[in-house]
Order: sequence, then structure tokens, then C-alpha cells
Amino acid sequence: MIGSARRRLLIALLFLLPSLVGFLVFTAGPIAFSLAMSVTDWALTKHNPLSDTPIRFVGFENFLRILVGDESHLFWDYFGNTLFLMIGIPIGIAGSLGLALLLSARVTPTTRQGRTMGALWGVALTAISCAGVWASTTPGGATTLAGAAAPAARSTEAGLTDLTAHEVQRSRSRGAVLATAALGVIVTLGLAFGTVFFRTIFYLPSLLAGVALFLLWKTLYKPRGGLINAALGPVLDGVQAAVGATPPALWYAMGLLVWGAGLALCARVVLVGASKLRFGDAGLASFLGRLGLVAALGATVLGAGFVLVQLPARSLLPSGFAPVSRGDALDAAREVASSVPGADAEELRLAASALGDQSRVRDLIAALTGAAGASPESAGVVRRAVMNRASRVREGLTSGEGLAAPEWLVDSSWAKTALIVMGVWAGLGGSTMLLYLAGLSNIPPELYEASAIDGASGWNRFIHVTWPQLAPTTFFIVIMATIGGLQGGFEQAMVMTQGKADTIVLAYYIYNIAFTDQFQLGLASAIAWVMFAMIFAMTVLNFRLGSQLTNE
Amino acid sequence: MSDPATRSRRSFSVPRALGFAALVVLGATFTAPFLWQVLISLSSLTDVDLLTRTGFPPVLKPENYPQVFRKVEFARYFFNSFFVAGWVTLLQVITSAMAAYAFSRIRWPMRDRVFLLYLATLMIPGVVLMVPNFAIVLGLGMFNTYWGLIVPAAFSAYGTFLLRQFMLTIPTSLDEAAAIDGAGHWRVFTQVVLPLARPGLIVLAIFTFLGNYNSFFWPLILTKDDNLRVLPIGLLAFDSTYGRETPLIMAGSLMAMVPPVLVFVVLQKYLVKGIQLGAVKG
Repeated sequence: MIGSARRRLLIALLFLLPSLVGFLVFTAGPIAFSLAMSVTDWALTKHNPLSDTPIRFVGFENFLRILVGDESHLFWDYFGNTLFLMIGIPIGIAGSLGLALLLSARVTPTTRQGRTMGALWGVALTAISCAGVWASTTPGGATTLAGAAAPAARSTEAGLTDLTAHEVQRSRSRGAVLATAALGVIVTLGLAFGTVFFRTIFYLPSLLAGVALFLLWKTLYKPRGGLINAALGPVLDGVQAAVGATPPALWYAMGLLVWGAGLALCARVVLVGASKLRFGDAGLASFLGRLGLVAALGATVLGAGFVLVQLPARSLLPSGFAPVSRGDALDAAREVASSVPGADAEELRLAASALGDQSRVRDLIAALTGAAGASPESAGVVRRAVMNRASRVREGLTSGEGLAAPEWLVDSSWAKTALIVMGVWAGLGGSTMLLYLAGLSNIPPELYEASAIDGASGWNRFIHVTWPQLAPTTFFIVIMATIGGLQGGFEQAMVMTQGKADTIVLAYYIYNIAFTDQFQLGLASAIAWVMFAMIFAMTVLNFRLGSQLTNE
Repeated sequence: MSDPATRSRRSFSVPRALGFAALVVLGATFTAPFLWQVLISLSSLTDVDLLTRTGFPPVLKPENYPQVFRKVEFARYFFNSFFVAGWVTLLQVITSAMAAYAFSRIRWPMRDRVFLLYLATLMIPGVVLMVPNFAIVLGLGMFNTYWGLIVPAAFSAYGTFLLRQFMLTIPTSLDEAAAIDGAGHWRVFTQVVLPLARPGLIVLAIFTFLGNYNSFFWPLILTKDDNLRVLPIGLLAFDSTYGRETPLIMAGSLMAMVPPVLVFVVLQKYLVKGIQLGAVKG
């Protein structure tokens, strides 16, 4: 070591000086300052150089106001929102682990020759499929575009009447070619650069997470004209058609089946956990872990079963089971009378009105077929007439109800889910995945070899080798994610919903109190310290549970 | 004749193909929104709501990009972001490296206690510091200035911690040799330790730059004037004024995404190493 003790101290202080000044003024000082502020009623609008009002010491009044007093309903509401948004954390961690496992499975070519060949194949495949898509989406292929003048006829499709039919056609063709080309580029680069390429594009969203990315997602989430609902539309239509074509009893049965299976699974997890329950922290921690699993599983199963049971009622379709009003039944009878030769109009009318309001399409068809004289041809005519009527009925109904895509960021029952989906998407390939990749590469290969000799299957290998070996990584990730989750959510809400639709989180609350209308710095500091206490408690809990589980 | 090693190198198998297909599908999921963003940014305002039906803008409008610069002070926002993030990065790396040197290379009384104090503050969430720091910056007269954006971020307990851990891995025999040659601490620091700590410095620089480039809360509460706005705040204001003009918003946000992507692609090696060393802020 150079120099005497005193000289060393002097030199060390000189090296430390810039950092130490910053540390005292912007970290250590503010912590003390903030604690002091939290027991005052300091608000910039009341106490400033212009007004002479002295700042009052209010003791624990701020804390009481937040936790049990007049601010408490807001505080606990926003705390609930924050916790709700944290549902994304376990989903994200599981997904990141999945991505890391997939990336480390070496599914891309590993040799230089394999990569080169793969790249060449990729380029060829991309070129061929782009050409194919272009040729099949452009009527007449190259000749129409090159030679003939573009037809000026307006498009007849609803909503697209401002464009010529040719323009619509051309745009669709270009869109299809572009999508094919993009997919081809991913395949080609994936074959050529392997894991590094995929890791890079998986990481991009988390790198860009910020206002720019949130603005993009705000556009994607637009109820009309947004990409997400445009993609969801056909899916929902398919579900609706499937539900309409089958009797409701089937969906009720499936719902019950899911509930039953879920109940059995939950019971099994609890019973196995109980049978392993020993005294002491380790046993309790593992049992609590199982309870958490049961809660997650139970919620999922409950929700899935509920969706299944609700489907028939929500998809109002012209199936045999959809309801028809008395007016529609009479209209259908009139239609049948005019199109079935020799049918008695009065008898048809009576048959239709004998059915009450909200009778089923199937019963209406049966009644009208009977009244029309039950020949095979007339049955077909009746069915068509009733279905026509019923589909017109459906158009009226589905515009208001039925399986409509959600109004993501506007509807307060969907906005938080929308934020979770975006958060999971953005974080899936981020630092969590990279940490898992590092963790996976640190698992000694001998462990896998040993388990292979024991004849362990893929799943068993994961449960008995991979997962326990990754426990320290998971532990670190859970702690960091919990801390981040309790503090987070402000930027997304600010950019995408402006706090509307029930998306205000604790950080947003602090922002509102401290920096918008009244600049109540004292109250805001108190909220920040309550938040700190919560973060601290959660971290301690994580540490206790985590260290017990990783030692087990 | 086919031992396990050669069998596993077989170039094609069904599980591998399925795995590759899964990677491609996931890759498409992560890139599709950005591709869509490009299409919107090139679309005209009248066509943008029909884009999901046509799949491609009927008329391409690259003019949207220069239009963004005409509607708002976008170039200014860009400059501000680079100016602030650049200064913060430079200052933070310098102050952290110097402090890390004092914590790892010089023996002085109370050293470990002071360092423990640094560590302890890492546990305090940023939100707790936001309110008092706002009051302090206000008191120092730095509200609504570049100073207020740069100075509080010019030092970092976290950066000091990161670089200290890094410097501890550099063997002390090197600086002892330099000391025997008559080098003082400053020369040992600049000529021995800093060059060897380069990967650590780069990791800290990347994280600091990206973090500050994206920083939102602090500039939001601290700046009022339009000509002090950094990109995130400028984009937010742009959206609240011209939010209906989706193509312009998408063009602006796409441009804002370019610098981090460039940084990442060029310095990817360091970034990934850094994250995997645990150099990630909560």
C-alpha cells in the first residue's frame, strides 16, 4: 500500500469526493429529508416563499389518513390495482423460462456448413414463397399490373368505398407478400445466426419499453382499426359459429368437466402437500407454495369453466337454440306462406303465434313445417325462411351483444388485463430470460447424464434437475420483479390510459398527490414510506420462503 | 456404429424442426408489432383505420417523417435526450469509477462501513427519493433546467457497487508493481485499473445511457418548457396534442426507438454479459 494511513485517507477522500457529495445530497440526505417531510403538512401551494404559512408538524396524521382515514379508500384501491398488475409477474417468469429452455435446446444448425446451407435454403424458400403469394393474390399475375389500365371501379366492400377495387386488391397482395417476406427473413436469419439472432429479437421489446413502445401498443389496442381486435375478430367469429352449431348442453358439460378436473387436481396438490407437511419452516414454506399453486390453478380453472358455461348465452346465433321473438315468428310464417305453394297462411300464422316470445328457432321450424303440410320440399323452404329471419335477428342482436372483442384500454374491466398482456409481451425476452439462459448454461452436464442413465423422461429431468438447479436464479428474479412490480405501472398508465379505466397504481398516486394539483409533498412522502414498508415486507417474505425452498 | 455424440449432431429431426418452428412463431410475435408500426407510419391519415382490412397502405406517405419535425420540436427532443443521457453517462461513469477505486484499492479507516451505507441505500425504492429530490432541486434553483436533469443522476451508488465488484477481480499485484515503479494513485487509477476495468465501464455506460434515454418520471416532473423536453416527454406531449394523427405518432415513436436498437446491436456482447453478471436494476 502506498503512503501512511493519514495520507491514504486523504487520497481516498479525494477519489471519493464527487461521488460522496452526490450521495449525501441526492440519496442519503433525501432519505432523511423524506422521513422528516412525511410527518408534516408541507404542500407547495400552501407553504412557499410567497405565503407566510408555517409548515406544521402533524405526527402520524399523514400515515393514518392513508391507511384508515379519508385517503384510505383511494390508497387501498390503487394498491389493489398494483397487485392485480403483478399477476403478470409469475406468467412472465414462466414464459421467460420457457423461452430460455427453447433457446438453449440447440434447435438451430450448429456447424458452419449447416448455417451456410440453412441461409441459402432460407433465401430460396423466401423468394419462392413471396413469388407464389404474389402470383396467387394478383389476378392475372404480371400481365394485369403491367399492361391493362387499372380498373377505376370503386370497391363495393363496406368501409372501403373510397378506394378502387384495384387499390384494395393491390394493397392486400402487397401486405401478404410483405408478411411472407418478413417470415422468410426470420427463418433465414434464424438458420444463419441461430440462437444469437432469436435472442436479439426476443430482447428488443424489453430494450424499447418506454413511452414510444406504449404509444405503439395504444394503437394496437384500438377497439376499431387496431391490430389486436382485427386479429381477434375471426377467432371470436369462429367460436361463435362453433357454439351456435352445437347444443348448449355440450358447453355446460364441458364447463362442469373442467371444474371437476380442476377440483380433483387442486385436491391432489393439497393432499400431497399435507401428507408431506412436517413441522418447521421448510415444511410450511413448501405447503404455502402449494397453496399458492392451488390458488393460481383454481382461479384459472374457475375462469375457464365460467367462460365455457357462459358461451351459449353470450353467442346469440341462429342455431336451433337461439331465441326468436313472436314478431319474428309471425314474419317467418308470412314468408313461408308466400313461398310454399298450397300452404294455408292462416294455419301458419296460428302455429307461429302459438309459440311464445323467446321461443327457440328449432321449435319454430317444427311448428311451421307441421302447418305447411310436411312435404320434404316445404321443410327445406321453411328452414331457409326461418334461418333468414333468424340471421337478420342475429345482426340486430350481435351489434349490441354476443361475443364482441373487448374495448381494451377504455373498459375498466379490461384495461388492467391489457396492461398485463403488454407487460408480459415486453418482458418475456428481457433480462429474466437472459438470467435463465446464464443459469441453464451453468448447470453441470454430468447431472443430465446421470439422470439420463437413470432413464428420466424430459419432464422428470426438468423437475428433478433443471428447476432445482435454477432455484437461486428464480429466487433473485422473483425478488427483483416483486420490488419492481410494487413500484411500477406509472408510465404505462400515464401514456396509455391517463389513469382512466381504473389503472392508477401506487406510483401514479404519489405522482398525483405530489406533482399535480396541490403539491402535497408531506403526504406524498408518507405514501412513499408506506410503499417502502410494503416492499420491505414482501422482500423479507420472499427471502424467508425462498431460502427455505432452495435449501430443501 | 452410431455413438450418442454423432447422433445428437444429426442435422434434422422432428423435435428440432418443431423447436425451430416455435422460435420462428415467437420471433414473429415479437417483431410483428414493429412491422405494423412501420406500415402505420407510412400510411395516410384517411387510410390508417382501414389498414387492418387492406393489410398495406394503398398510398405510401414517407412525408410523415419530415412532417413530425414540422409539427413539434422533434429534433430538439432528440438533442435533449442525447445531451442529458450523454452527460449523465459520462459523469456517472467517472464518479463511480473514482469511488470504486477508493473502495477497492485504497485501505482507509471506516472504508467498509461507508461502503455498507452505499449498499443500504440501494434498497430504497426510487419513488421514495423522487419527492425529496424534487424539493432539493427546487431549492437549488435547478427546476426546469438541464442542470436539474443531469446533476442528480451524475452519481450512482449502484454504479459504484458494480465497478467496485469489477475492480476487486483485477489482481492487486499489477498496481503494486506500478507503485514500485514510482506511480502515485492517480497514475495507477488511470493507467492500470481503468484500462483493465474497461468491460465493466462499458457495461455501466450502456445501462446508464439506455436507462436515462428512457427515463420518464424525473424529466416529467422537472421540466416545464417545451425546449427542455426529452424524447419520452416530447412524445407524450405530441400524443396528447396530435393523438388523432396516428401515422405521425407512429413515425415519431419509431424514430425514438432507433438509437437504443443501434446501441444494443453494436454493444450486445457487453450488455448480455452485464445482465448475466447481475448488473440489472430492479
